[in-house]
Amino acid sequence: MKARIILLLLLALCVVVAAQPAQPEELDWSPVVYPLQRLPLIFSHQKHLARGTTCVACHPNATSSQSAVDNLIPTEAQCRACHAIDRADPAKQATPTAACGACHPNWTAGSVVQQVYLTPPPLKFAHAQHASTTCETCHPVRNVDLATTKQLPTMASCITCHKDGEEERHCTDCHLAKLGGLVETQFEHGRLVPGRDGLGDQHGPGFTNNHTQEARQAGNTCNACHDKSECVECHQGVVKPADFHPGNYLALHVIDAKRGKDCSACHRSESFCVACHERSGVGTRAASKFNEIDPSTRFHPIGWASPNAGPNLHAQEARRNITTCASCHREEDCLTCHSAQPGAAHASPHPIGWRGSSRCRALDRGNRRMCLRCHITQDELGCDWSKH
Amino acid sequence: MSRGACLTIALAVTLAPMPAHAYEFWLRAQTIGQAYQLRDYQLVGPDLFLGRRRVTQTLALRITDVGDFAAARRLARLPEHGLRISWQSYLRVDHDFGDFTSGSLTLAGPIRRDAIDAIPELADSVAGLDLMYGYLQLDGLVDDRLMIQLGRVLADDGWGTTGIDGGTARYQLPESVLPISVAASAGLRVRASSPLGVTSYELDGTSGAGCQEYVEGPTPGTGSWKLIDRNRMITGTALASDYEYCPQRDVNQPTVGFMLATTHTKHFAAEVGYRRTWSDTVGLIGPVDRLSTPDLGLYPNEFGQAPATGVDEERLYARAHADFKAGGLAIEPYGDARYSILHAVLDRADAGVRLRSGAHVLEPAVEYYYPTFDGDSIFNAFSLEPTTDVRLGYRYGDKGPWRATADAWLRRYAHEDATTSFSGGGEAGVQRMLGAGWRGGLDALADTGYGGRRIGGTAQAQWRGTETVWVRGRMIVLAVAEDPTSTVLAAHYVTTSANFSTTWRVADTVALHFIGEADHDAIHALQTRAIAVVDLAYLPEP
Repeated sequence: MKARIILLLLLALCVVVAAQPAQPEELDWSPVVYPLQRLPLIFSHQKHLARGTTCVACHPNATSSQSAVDNLIPTEAQCRACHAIDRADPAKQATPTAACGACHPNWTAGSVVQQVYLTPPPLKFAHAQHASTTCETCHPVRNVDLATTKQLPTMASCITCHKDGEEERHCTDCHLAKLGGLVETQFEHGRLVPGRDGLGDQHGPGFTNNHTQEARQAGNTCNACHDKSECVECHQGVVKPADFHPGNYLALHVIDAKRGKDCSACHRSESFCVACHERSGVGTRAASKFNEIDPSTRFHPIGWASPNAGPNLHAQEARRNITTCASCHREEDCLTCHSAQPGAAHASPHPIGWRGSSRCRALDRGNRRMCLRCHITQDELGCDWSKH
Repeated sequence: MSRGACLTIALAVTLAPMPAHAYEFWLRAQTIGQAYQLRDYQLVGPDLFLGRRRVTQTLALRITDVGDFAAARRLARLPEHGLRISWQSYLRVDHDFGDFTSGSLTLAGPIRRDAIDAIPELADSVAGLDLMYGYLQLDGLVDDRLMIQLGRVLADDGWGTTGIDGGTARYQLPESVLPISVAASAGLRVRASSPLGVTSYELDGTSGAGCQEYVEGPTPGTGSWKLIDRNRMITGTALASDYEYCPQRDVNQPTVGFMLATTHTKHFAAEVGYRRTWSDTVGLIGPVDRLSTPDLGLYPNEFGQAPATGVDEERLYARAHADFKAGGLAIEPYGDARYSILHAVLDRADAGVRLRSGAHVLEPAVEYYYPTFDGDSIFNAFSLEPTTDVRLGYRYGDKGPWRATADAWLRRYAHEDATTSFSGGGEAGVQRMLGAGWRGGLDALADTGYGGRRIGGTAQAQWRGTETVWVRGRMIVLAVAEDPTSTVLAAHYVTTSANFSTTWRVADTVALHFIGEADHDAIHALQTRAIAVVDLAYLPEP
């Protein structure tokens, strides 16, 4: 009943979030890919295009440009093709307009013209290779005056033609690579992180400790920016990650381990857990403070290893989470009782219906060595024998 | 190979005239020193503290475009095309010279032995020279459709990574045929006993039979398992146990894998794969096979019942995810599953959906877990009960000063007798930029049910006022009540922990980190930990 209530609450929460009003994706134009610009100009693409001006009339180099660092902003010389600009007569009256102040706002005679400032995007891009595509496919300027970064293509628009889901090496087809072939992510004006466009999480809050799904995804692009050593340093590392295992986790890990939390992404219980437990005297090999014979120092409750069923019997714990047992005990400890060898207690760990089950057959077929640890005589092997 | 021969080859390689190629190198080196204490619970007298003093040196290396095959296109900023040869590796040297590994202990008897002789697992810590991966990659073959990796390659099924000494090849089918790539890998699974081996790549639950041999009795089938007598093989080494000999753990484990994955598909990706690892059965043990009774090998085999080989792992896995939008809501469903053919069980599965609306992300998910082990392990016969988790995560992260996370979970244990038990809990945290380089955060945690109960919180502050020095402090207080069902050590106590860390960015990519920790609770009066790291390829977190 409790579980149903909790499930209903979860469902209700999902509905609440799903019902949130749509919010604009403000980060579509990454300030790292397209750094802030300074455009002290008065200009209308809308009006020029409405008069039938072609794009190449003002941007003649766009069709041949091979690099994203090329400056394709029209120069005064290109404007002069239509505008009769005369520097000697800054207030010249003409049609179309030719006065300096018509394009350079707040300019007054004798003052210095404010410079256009454009930081080239840290991208590889050849306009020449896209010459067969209309300009407005990537630059929707027909209804704007001054074009800004908002009229530059986002990655989401690029992948409408350039298909996503490819291998990581293709990221550097467009993004700059640093030495070693990884995507360059560090720039003076910011740090490049994945965007919300279906190609990856934004590395938002808690991402360092919670990126399982991103890493598990087929075709993920993690290794475009991250060297594999970054994974190893944490998952098979030598330093306790303080953010993941908070202070004094040595004392606190007992509860997580008992609950059966899967620690295998970083730890192998048979080496990592056993070594520490045994060395700390919480094990079975060295002389330990914990003595099952002495009630005052026993580790497990009375009846834990009893041959008879009882509330404290270890059976359920072992069935539920044998990894916890294996962090101190070796298989030999189990075989003291759970063995069909002559002289052993013959306590069967198998559930009802084990013989003949698909699991028994699969394990026996795959690796009979495991069976031989307990069952030695030939007539006990396999899954079809019956007890004599 | 003799030392002289090695030197000759090294000299020849060094002195041989070689064309000057402008290979690109990227390397990341870290020198890590750690000192901390672990408690040694004593049979008589007060508990002792064991010191761990670890020094670790790591080296991650990438050499790209070996042979300059791609230089022209790279300089012209053109998309990569054609043969590219590269090398990637990660090497780690780790040594602990504290009492933890180099000390001694008392066994029942009493017998005094070196700790590493009594606890062979300490060999991982005492001195490790691990090649985590290292492979030559040939990319861009067959019109950019084929990629080959040779060396120590990594294999991942979504739930774990392992290493294979061998190779992997991936071929991208022409789009006009199918939008998928096919991959195959083959080699020897990396074991602790492999050259520059890595213990963590081994399957868990490797059989103790590897360290015992079956000694036959007076009549066939009446023998017993005994620790392999290694008295005549003692080498006196300080880096491994002198007393334990585990030939089954040292045999090669051939591994093959196949994979199919979608490529060039928009808003959807999927992958299915298969991996199989097996090993030969150890026969006669050689020099130590000196028993008076008929010895037929490591396993009983009077009737030919010991197989020539055994499967250690055989799994199928599948993973898929998609993304689409509905109004302003981004929806990203996913599902993953792994089936163990060896155990005839679905041992891992999850499914969920990530719902993103602006700066809000909500993620309900279900996970299923059935523990399975190396095919040699008898733990496979004991582990019978799966767990199922229901989770709900929430994230808030905008350009503003606030960030928030919240997670709730419920775990269901399905018992063999058809009963169930539960545990569950939640965590929540907020962070805020406070200006002038300060950032503060509060987290709360509470959980209960099977295993115990914890409730408490964390307060942390971080200062990044300059480009060269970062400082961070954290205080944790937790009340703990352990579940007494399996150990009588269970107790109620309050644990406190204070952490302090600082980073000094000495140069552009050179940083020194220092981390200190002091813990206090009813069991551990005061434990301290200090870590210092020299990072030669430092990249600050955003």
